[in-house]
Amino acid sequence: MLRRQLFGLMAGAAALAGISSPALATDPVRIGYTIARTGLFAAAAPSQEQAYTLWAEQVNAAGGLDVAGEMRPIEFVSYDDESDPAKAAQLYERLITSDNVDLLLAPWGTPHHLNVAGVVERYGFPMVGNTAASVMIREVQPGNIWFPTSAIPDQIGPALAQMLHEAGIQSVAILANVLPYSQENLQFLTPALQAQGIEILMSENYPPDISDMTPLLTQVRAAEPDAVLALTYPADAFLYTGQARELGIAPHLQFLLIGPTIDAFGKAFGPAADGIVTLAHWSPEQEAWPRARPFFDAYVARFDQEPDYLDSALAYMSVEILQQAVAQAGLDHDALRAAIANGTFDTINGEVRFDGVQNAITPTAFVQRQDGRMQLVWPPEIATAPLVTR
Amino acid sequence: MATDRNRQAMRRILLPLLLTLAGAALLYGGGLRAGPYWQVVALTLAMWIALIQSWSIFSGLTGYVSLGHAVAYGLGAYLMATQFRDYPVWVLIPAGGALAGLFALIVAIPVLRIRGPYFVILTFGLAELVKFALLRLETALGASSRLLFGAPGTTTLLAWMVALAAAATLLRHFVGLSRFGRGLIAIREDETAAETLGVPVTRFKVLAFALSAVIPGMVGAVMALRSTYFEVLQVFSPTISFTIVTMAIIGGSGDARGPVLGALFLVGLSELLRGASPQLYLILLGLCLIAFVLFAPNGLSGLLDRRRK
Repeated sequence: MLRRQLFGLMAGAAALAGISSPALATDPVRIGYTIARTGLFAAAAPSQEQAYTLWAEQVNAAGGLDVAGEMRPIEFVSYDDESDPAKAAQLYERLITSDNVDLLLAPWGTPHHLNVAGVVERYGFPMVGNTAASVMIREVQPGNIWFPTSAIPDQIGPALAQMLHEAGIQSVAILANVLPYSQENLQFLTPALQAQGIEILMSENYPPDISDMTPLLTQVRAAEPDAVLALTYPADAFLYTGQARELGIAPHLQFLLIGPTIDAFGKAFGPAADGIVTLAHWSPEQEAWPRARPFFDAYVARFDQEPDYLDSALAYMSVEILQQAVAQAGLDHDALRAAIANGTFDTINGEVRFDGVQNAITPTAFVQRQDGRMQLVWPPEIATAPLVTR
Repeated sequence: MATDRNRQAMRRILLPLLLTLAGAALLYGGGLRAGPYWQVVALTLAMWIALIQSWSIFSGLTGYVSLGHAVAYGLGAYLMATQFRDYPVWVLIPAGGALAGLFALIVAIPVLRIRGPYFVILTFGLAELVKFALLRLETALGASSRLLFGAPGTTTLLAWMVALAAAATLLRHFVGLSRFGRGLIAIREDETAAETLGVPVTRFKVLAFALSAVIPGMVGAVMALRSTYFEVLQVFSPTISFTIVTMAIIGGSGDARGPVLGALFLVGLSELLRGASPQLYLILLGLCLIAFVLFAPNGLSGLLDRRRK
């Protein structure tokens, strides 16, 4: 600590004395964000921060960030928000007013995004969001925040029901975490299934810190559904998958809401993760998106793990959008806001354009792990492989 | 004799009153002048002062450590988040306090029959119970989270919060001086003896418990306006209760100065160390706690007293 401070002091003195290094010739672009390094979301957040890190390293290696024609290196200013959305809002205020950052990247998760939305609105500071999905994002006044995700519950429900119907599924058992995202999905999924004539044999909620699903899964097994729809968060996705295997639950199709896109999930279950369907709208297998495969390869090379097909992809998309907007408009908030709101961007997930706060192009989609590869299986226009049922 | 009484009145009533008002003015004025980020820090500081002073009315005076004050905060916040669109803020803030006080009054009757470590565990369990019950209720209502746009700005909230911190400080001070407060202290020293001496033990405890929940309810209502996003798990977080107890240990809860010192110390420390490393911050905090328990069991305010003597 002390040594670092002394070093900083010496470096500062050296710079003042005019012995500055050539690196100081161009001021870095200071980019601020907070991330959950400790607390409840600490396990999920690295998949997002690693995408940021990779991007900054790539940009700096290529000569810097193009700020309306001028190349400047990227420097991050980041804080731990301790998984507390209120603290995230407070720290974004600090980033804007005290650290005077040039640009902002998004924190992890819906609660954090929606809390920070108030801050960026107050200061008129444009920020491209990423890992937030809720029908509530539509209540956010368009202006300074955008959500590139297409995983919005009122679109997921009908899409999932249609995919199941076309796969010949006639009955389902639903298990849902009581946390907001699962419940929002449940709310739209239930009527959509009924509209497709799919019978709901059981529908049960469970608490977020559940440690044993056996009683619920015994009921599922007895109900003999064609498909199990588990509206999970990451922790219970692992629990469900492990315990469902032990109990020999093997329906035609298993859908898990959040979890299977994480690198650790594939590693934990290996071939047993094959066939599980989950929520994501990106895959490196899609050749129509030329940036997708290079991102995947670079990520694996840098971190020795697969990117999260949902969070890492969204995080990287958000910085690609920001980068292209900054190249065009520079750092001025008004110009940047207009550039993001009106532009069309080339991302690892194909073209993205915003309509209000929402991505107007990327469709709601599902992926399935097949032979260890994450394949897009829905909707047909972006699918990379057909859905496989048992 | 008369001058003696005057001097005592001055020391016990006028001086604390003036100091509190001066502190409040400093916090509000300083926050406004120092720029937007420091307003947020001032708001946080005022929030913790209000919470710890209130907590100390019950736990500091009676010695019953409550780990359930997050419930009072959460209830106020919940009321604000659900009714924000239908009622004005100045109605909902006091209503949040009333709701929290009423709830404390109802649960106090069974809860306060229990003493010692069991009481601590019970208050914690109760807080978790309320949290998960409301989570279920929200799920059943199909409203698992809510957005609050169009809330008043930071300066307005800061004014509210500083007023609450000042009110809580004065309340804590004057309760401590009153007959009621002495009764509570007697309960802390020896509950059975207090009862034999004629202190209405149960009534005093229940009253103090309810009273200590009112301002936290109002604090919760104000803080709900700080966030644009509301979720049950957030506002009923046990971290709120733990932080209150931590700051009270560091500051000392023997009088109304302790909570102010504890909040100043911890908020200041976290601001100083924020940039360095959050892990280091938590470790340092742990070390501080151990040091305070070992070497300054009466907290910072106890240290000040010792120096004076």
